[in-house]
This record gives sequence, structure tokens and C-alpha cells, in this order.
Amino acid sequence: MSDRKGSELADGLVSPTAAAALQEPDVPVGKAESRRVGGLVPWWANQRIGLLVLVVALSALFGVLRPAFFNQQLVIFPLLRDIAMFTVVGLAQLCVLSIGHMNLAVGRMAAFSMMITGISYDLWHFTLYAGLVIGLVAGAAIGALAGWVIARTRVNSFVVTLALDFLLLGLIPLVYTALTDNAAFVTRPPGMRELRNYSLADVCVGNVCGSPAVPQLALFAVVAMAVVGWIYSRTKLGRELLMTGASVRAAELSGIPTARRVIVAHAMSGSLAALAGFMLAVSTGSIKATIGEEFMLPSFLGPILGGTLLAGGFVSIWGTLIGTALTTVIRKGLDLLGVGLESLNIYLGLILLVALSTDRIRAKLSDRQGVRER
Amino acid sequence: MIVSSFCRKAAAGLALVALAATGCTTKNPSATGSATTGDDASTKSSSGPVTLKDGSQVKLALIPGGAHPYFQPWKTTADQDKTEFKLGAVTFNETGEWDQGKQNNVINSLAAQGYNAFGIFGVSPTDINSTFEDLKAKGFAVGSLASCPAGDTNSADFCLSTDVETAAYKAAKATIAAIGGHGTIVHLTGNNVDSNTQRRIAGVKKAVAETNGKVTELPVITDIDKDLSTAQKAVADLLAAQGTKINGIVTTAYNPAVAAADGVASSKLPIKVVAIDDDAKILAGIKSGGVAATVTQNPVGQAYVGGWLLALLQSKQCTMKDPGVIVDSGSFVVTKANVDTYDQERQAKTKELQTEFASHLTCS
Repeated sequence: MSDRKGSELADGLVSPTAAAALQEPDVPVGKAESRRVGGLVPWWANQRIGLLVLVVALSALFGVLRPAFFNQQLVIFPLLRDIAMFTVVGLAQLCVLSIGHMNLAVGRMAAFSMMITGISYDLWHFTLYAGLVIGLVAGAAIGALAGWVIARTRVNSFVVTLALDFLLLGLIPLVYTALTDNAAFVTRPPGMRELRNYSLADVCVGNVCGSPAVPQLALFAVVAMAVVGWIYSRTKLGRELLMTGASVRAAELSGIPTARRVIVAHAMSGSLAALAGFMLAVSTGSIKATIGEEFMLPSFLGPILGGTLLAGGFVSIWGTLIGTALTTVIRKGLDLLGVGLESLNIYLGLILLVALSTDRIRAKLSDRQGVRER
Repeated sequence: MIVSSFCRKAAAGLALVALAATGCTTKNPSATGSATTGDDASTKSSSGPVTLKDGSQVKLALIPGGAHPYFQPWKTTADQDKTEFKLGAVTFNETGEWDQGKQNNVINSLAAQGYNAFGIFGVSPTDINSTFEDLKAKGFAVGSLASCPAGDTNSADFCLSTDVETAAYKAAKATIAAIGGHGTIVHLTGNNVDSNTQRRIAGVKKAVAETNGKVTELPVITDIDKDLSTAQKAVADLLAAQGTKINGIVTTAYNPAVAAADGVASSKLPIKVVAIDDDAKILAGIKSGGVAATVTQNPVGQAYVGGWLLALLQSKQCTMKDPGVIVDSGSFVVTKANVDTYDQERQAKTKELQTEFASHLTCS
């Protein structure tokens, strides 16, 4: 009797992939453990190291084919700016992947948050960072709303965030056309233009200055990675999120308030989406209704390439960075090779398939070695 | 192992951030661009078309925001620019995928490969000045082609573009004339959250207002220029729901124009359609009477004159007297009466543009 009730509760709350995982409860936990305990996985089969080697190798290859690839000002600087921004996009998705959910409204949450930030700059004359904080709060609020609906109604996160995406798709243009002349907030608070173009060469400790190839904007991604990494590896909240992702039923039996963790995960996702939206607005120059339209695919690509599980229970912050870097480097390299529009995304897809295949091969070799050791 | 390894890296990262914060200072911002105005030019002013002396060091890139039929003439005109002005290289790159970030990356990649003169249709009129400022700071000649930055500032050397509000106004006037000066019209157009669309909407509203109530406008139908099938669905729905109330359809985007011409012809309703640009299907519609008129723009003129002007600027032969000047590349009403000769008017306008720009140049 109690088992059946627990099962019904779990089925209603978790995503289909996590529900499937419940039928084999040891699988995600086992995977998580095998990834955590480094001794069981040879260093050369580590997914992140493999991806990192691939990023370095591809960069070297593109550099040999087109020396312009190493141009600090025109290639490396904007490349790192993009990697930083899309890493934050990936972290936004990673937060909900950790509990086995998806957030299809990452891009629209970014647009909503930046709309609030744009209003704070244009109408309320906030400073650059005050407006950013307002945007982060708005992002957390819209994310928490999605999480609350998911927890309350037990409708799948895919459906709820998809519905939210449509809701915001209609709402955001209405606000922009009502409040602006050009469908964008063009007010630039002091510091916004500088943040776009300044590199670490403009940051000095005494007489020592940083590299002109590294944008200051990338520091936002570093901070985001540090905070998210700290939460998942060092806090009770992070452990409870991962346990919720690994097995909702087990988490509830352990006394974890899973509904509240769902809300927190989605709030974190919304806040990170807002940060990514801010970085995009700074990079391109204005806060407009279309911010975030391109975030959907990158939000999944970085974390999943980097080893975060779709079913929940395991996240990889460094993997998200490297997965994002891989995609961005490939695209930049193909740009420099002059690949036309017709072929660009075909080559991008093919290279990613090869990358994933080599990872799979290394995983199989690792399993074989593991069996032998046992 | 992985977790502790990550902790060490995170700790190291945090330490670096903390170290950077202590004693951190920001350099005084230097001038974003060298003051080249007047350096290489005499005060001589030209009153006629200027001939480019040496274009061999100029590598011209024409960069629309993404793939679109409007920009295909740029490709052939770029080759014409190369041949006629003897430029070092030309390229046409449409891989921006209608994303400002991606377009910026395309521009940077081309610059890294040695291109030094850029004719750009900015994906986002409110963002593109940032891109122009970056390019000017690096010493490149920059023209905003086919679209001007939104607002009062143009950070490019010049803008050569259709005045989209004027073009839409002409289209609406043609529609009103076609329906006999009274009745109901509807406006079909593109991306609602694009400042150029807002200007087109304003142009149509202005023409309707001038009729003092004799012509009314239904709510604008936006966001249907993504592709032809989207436009076709919207037109079919519109005709089914309100076809009998509509006297005229004015379109200010490519896909809605083609879809409206087809849809009205199929439905056999007596609605007058005014289209945009000179797609073969639209021109055939004008000849057959199914389309009342179209308003063509001047993409060839934009690429030809834009390329010429960029070469003059990048070769340092000329400088702009008034950087950021905005010139209308022209919009032309085509009806059955002039469907066979309208291109002559457009070519004449293109020649005029060179003369007009010459008055904005100081050349050695």
C-alpha cells in the first residue's frame, strides 16, 4: 500500500527519463559513483580530458590551416567572449538537468530578465550593475515560477517550460512595442560599452597587466562556474539536488523536500539565463526583444557534451565549459576556412558526431579495462 | 578524485579572482581610434563622380545578416566592383544566420583574413553601431548598406539604404490609388521586434491618415516573413476570415508579397495587391494585372556605390566630410505602365548616388 502511493507520487513528479531510471534504480547512482571515484576510470578515458584534448587539437589544426585563427584581437577575444556567454547558458540548463528536468525556456527567460533590466536602465536610470542585479532577480523569479508550477501540478518540466516559452514569446514583444520606439532599450548605462571591449590588459596589479586576448566579460562566466561548482560540490543544497535527480523516491525517503528543490533548481536556471542574457546584451550593444533566441541548442550542447546526465544525478561544470568551447572553436574555425552557409552546420554536426564517437570508444575501452581489473 | 580535482581548480580560480581584485586598477582608456580625418586628404572638394586611383590594397566584404533573396544581387555586384575598380579581393558572406552575434563573428573572421572594407547590413539596427565602432577603431572603412542603425547616430562612415518608411509610404499610396481612394487595406510585414518594421508600419499609417478616414487599415499582420509557407498560411487565413472586407493589401516584406499575390489570384477576390521588390513572380503578376504595383528597392546600387565608396575611403584617397551621412538609395513604384522600363529609373538613381556622395567627400 505505502509502496504504491510512493510510486504514484514519484511518477507524477519526475521527468520521463528519470521515471525510466527508477525501474533500474542502481544505474544512475552507479554511473555517478563510477564518475566520482577516479580510480575506476583511467585518466585517458575521462570524458572531460578527452574533450579538452580535442579542443586543443582542433585549435591547433585550424591554426595551421589559417594562421589568422590566433589573431588575438579579431579571433581569440570574441571567441572567448562567446565561450564565456554560452558556458553560462549551459550552466542554466545544467541546474535543471541535475534534477532530471529540462528548461526549454532558457532563451525566453533571458529575454524576460533583460527586459526588466532594460526597463531599469531606460525608465528608472539604474546603474549597470544595479540593473544586472534586478535582471538576476527577475530571472530567478520567472524560473521559480516554472519550478513551482512543475512541483505543484506535477506536469513534466518539458511541457511547463515549453508553455512558459510560448507565454513569454507573446508577452515580451508586447512590452517592447509599448515601451520603446525601436523594439529595443538603447540606453547604455556608463560602463556597458567598456565592458564589451575591455580585456584583462586593462586590469593591472601594480605593473603587471593581463592578456589582451581575454575579455573582462569572461570573468562573469568564471564567477558563475565557481558559484555553481561550489553549490554542487560543497553544499547540502547541491547534494540534495543531485540526490533528487538520482532518485526522487530515495530522496524523499531520506527526508529531502524535493518539491522545494525543484523550485530552487529552476530559480537557479532562470538566474543564470539572466546572466547570459546580460552578457549577450553587452556583447552586441543593446537590450532587445530577440535576446536569447539562439540559446536553446547551446544550453543542452555544452553540459551534455561535457558529461552531465540527462537523467539527473550528475553534473559537470568543467565539462560544460569544454563542451561549449568545442562547439565554438569548430564554428570559428569553419568561419575562417570560408565554409559557406550551406555546409557550415553540416560540418559542425559531423565533427561533433566524431567527437562523441571517440568518447564512446574510450568509454568502452575503459569498461573493458575495469572488468579486467575486477 | 574528480570532485577534489575540481575543488582545487575552483580554489585556484577564486584565488586568481581575489588576487586580481586586490590592487586592481583600470588603465586610462586611450582613444578608441586614431584621428585619421584630414590626415591624408587635401581640402580639395569634388563636384562630380570620383574615379578610384588604386584599389589594389582594398579587400571588400559585403555582409548581409543572413541568406535572403534581397541580397543575391550583392553577390554579382561585388564581382562587378572587383572588376571595374580593380580591387584586391571581394567576398560576399551570408553565414550570419540572422543573429547579430554570429554576424559579428563573421565580420571578425574576415577582418582577421585581411579584408579591410566592409559593407554591412546589420542584423539588429539597435546593435550594429557597436560593431561599426569596433571596426572603425581598428582602422577599417565601414558602410551600413540596405539598413541604417536605429536612432539618431550612425557610427559607420556612411549609410546607403532604402528609406524604409518612405518606401512603405509609397507602397501604401499606391494601394490607396489602386482601390480608388476609399475602402479598407491591410498591411503584411516582417519581424515585429525589428526597428525597420516599426518604421514601415509608421509609413503605411501616415499614408492612411492622409485620406482623412476614407481609407481604413486593419491591424498590421507581422512576423510572417520567416519563410514562404508561414506567409502563405497567414494570407490564406486572412482571406478566409476577412477577404470580403478587404479592398487592398500592402506588403512590405518579401515572403508576404509573394504569398499575397498568389493567394489573391487563387481566391479570385477583387483585392488589389501592392508588393515589394522585383521577384520574377511579382513582375509577372504586374504584367498580368494580378498585382497592382510593387515598390522596388536598389540592392545593386547599394552594393555598387557602396563598394566604390568603401574603396575610396580604405585606399585613403578620400575621407568623409560628414561621417555617418545617410543617403536614400531609392525606392521605385512599378505598375503595369512602367513594368518594362522601371530599371532605367533605378540605374539613373544609382548614377545620381555617386554624384551625391561626391559632395560628401574630400579627396586628394
